[in-house]
Amino acid sequence: MDSSNDDALDIIITNVVATFRTRCHLNLRTIALEGTNVIYKPEVGKVLMKLRKPKITASIWSSGKIICTGATSEDDAKVGARRLARCLQKLGFKVRFSAFKVVNVLAVCSMPFSIHLVDFTKNNRPIASYEPELHPAATYRIKHLKATIQVFSTGSLTVTGPNVQNVATAVEQVYPLLFECRKPLREKRKVN
Amino acid sequence: MSRSALRCPGCDSSNIIDDDLYAQVQLVCVDCGAVVSEGSLADEHVEGSGVNFVRAVTSAKKPCPNLIKGLQRVKVICQTLRVHSGIENLSQSHYQQAYQHDSFINVSLQKKDVLAGCSVLVSCRLLNWPITMGTIGCLVDADLEMVGAVYREMVKILNIVAPIINVTDVMEAHVQEYKISSLHVPEDLAENPKDLTKRAVALVELAADTWIVTGRRPIPIMMAAIYLAWQSLKPTKQRLKFSLDKFCQIAKVNKHRPAMKRIAEMKEVLCKLGKEIPWVSEAVTADNIVLHVADVLQHRYTLLKRAQRSHEKAQLDNCEVSCGDSQTEDGGAPSQISDFVKETSNSTSVEQWEPHSEQGNGCDNTCTVSDPHGDSQQSQGPASNWGKRVLFAPPCVVNAKRRRVEQPELKDVTGDEEISDSEIDSYIRTPKEVRDFALNQKMLSVLKSQKS
Repeated sequence: MDSSNDDALDIIITNVVATFRTRCHLNLRTIALEGTNVIYKPEVGKVLMKLRKPKITASIWSSGKIICTGATSEDDAKVGARRLARCLQKLGFKVRFSAFKVVNVLAVCSMPFSIHLVDFTKNNRPIASYEPELHPAATYRIKHLKATIQVFSTGSLTVTGPNVQNVATAVEQVYPLLFECRKPLREKRKVN
Repeated sequence: MSRSALRCPGCDSSNIIDDDLYAQVQLVCVDCGAVVSEGSLADEHVEGSGVNFVRAVTSAKKPCPNLIKGLQRVKVICQTLRVHSGIENLSQSHYQQAYQHDSFINVSLQKKDVLAGCSVLVSCRLLNWPITMGTIGCLVDADLEMVGAVYREMVKILNIVAPIINVTDVMEAHVQEYKISSLHVPEDLAENPKDLTKRAVALVELAADTWIVTGRRPIPIMMAAIYLAWQSLKPTKQRLKFSLDKFCQIAKVNKHRPAMKRIAEMKEVLCKLGKEIPWVSEAVTADNIVLHVADVLQHRYTLLKRAQRSHEKAQLDNCEVSCGDSQTEDGGAPSQISDFVKETSNSTSVEQWEPHSEQGNGCDNTCTVSDPHGDSQQSQGPASNWGKRVLFAPPCVVNAKRRRVEQPELKDVTGDEEISDSEIDSYIRTPKEVRDFALNQKMLSVLKSQKS
């Protein structure tokens, strides 16, 4: 991926959320009784199954829809989902792995400079919004990428987007804007 | 009345009159009494024009009574805050617009009350009237989260972009809350609100320049600034002994816990600048810095420049010393200092989250030094590293929380792992060991056969 700057940034993916379907009805009681590492939540109507490798937590509904969270990459998510489907197959259900989709990717990134949030928000209205009384970070939403970036004054970023590519593109897009606001300007200006 | 046109079928007389039987219309011949025609009760001709049923039962659309009450509430809030009529009108129009939107038409009355407060807030912001969300929260008796949620929703619906409040603008209004003038407290503890505001504003501006304000809630910062300003305006022993708790008690305000941390941070900054004052001979510590606050604030820009310069000088000296020791010198050590943007030189990559602090190993100062004393800074990762390098940085960068390093789980042995050559050697017996082993086995078998 070519970046507009020579220096490099590490974008660390902390969570990938994916969904898939098993195309068959699942009996949650059976899964709860016979499955390993499961937690049954009858009040909500789902079963939580945790896999060790890759480290994934799956919410299983009786309709056959399953949500996997906790993966650290898209491939990991797919592998975990397939492993989960295999587990369910072994329990006796006629599972057909289908409609796998990565729904959300959460990544963190750290800039090696502080960011002046008020300047950043003023330069990027209305895409950026910042309410210091409510949340310490400024929120920057990129509509066409469907990504949301939370910018903290320490230089940390939290990026959420529909896939890893969008997340990386979002960071690349926002970097120059952050670079501009890295120091408080010396001239007399609004304080915040 | 006679009807000339009709003729009685029985006697052919034209003397026919309207003789209604109760409500039924009847035309009767006078001569023979025959009923010529009668109207059907069902077709009774109604007086007046016909009216649609729906229109007959619906009344004229009156404005919703809750909307009227809400507008009244907006007016009351504006009057409590003593804002000018422009803000009042604007907030009323915002309220009306937002009220009739789908997201707010069916919410609870409490939320509609909060909406009234938020419309006042947004109008104040648009017309440059400083007011905090905390104030609105108090007025509508709701917590900050609810006010925040309603405010965000409203701003989204009405598509408003409101400017962010400036802490120094709000300061004056905030100081009014503190009952610290000579009317409320004894003379030696009293302070003129104007002086207090001026000093506190200067403190907040200094804090903003040194990364204490960005990203933090404004009210604890203001509280800390006012407390320090109050202490420094007359730094008597009595005032210096006053803790934040006691100060809030006599000023009759609620203490905010983060204010204590802000006080510590501000004192640290003031100490750093206090060290640069040329006419102060004794050491400047957190205890005696309050005495010098006036000087620091008066000459703060000069002191900031001086502090920056001495910090850079100290870094250069440090670098040279350690570079000279280990004889590894990376050219360009001075360039690191004024330039905050020095990043790790890994390639742009989207990595998996590794539990162990790989960041620490990848961290690469321009002054790469193989420091044998195990520089603890480098192991904490690049973030805290650059925080410690610069003179002023956001406090949570300087005191970075050490990430809890996950113990690497005992991975299941798969049998596919690579075995290094040295490891392989430890598994294979040397020829001498083979001979010894064979000898031992023989001796053991001889012993066994002797026994049995």
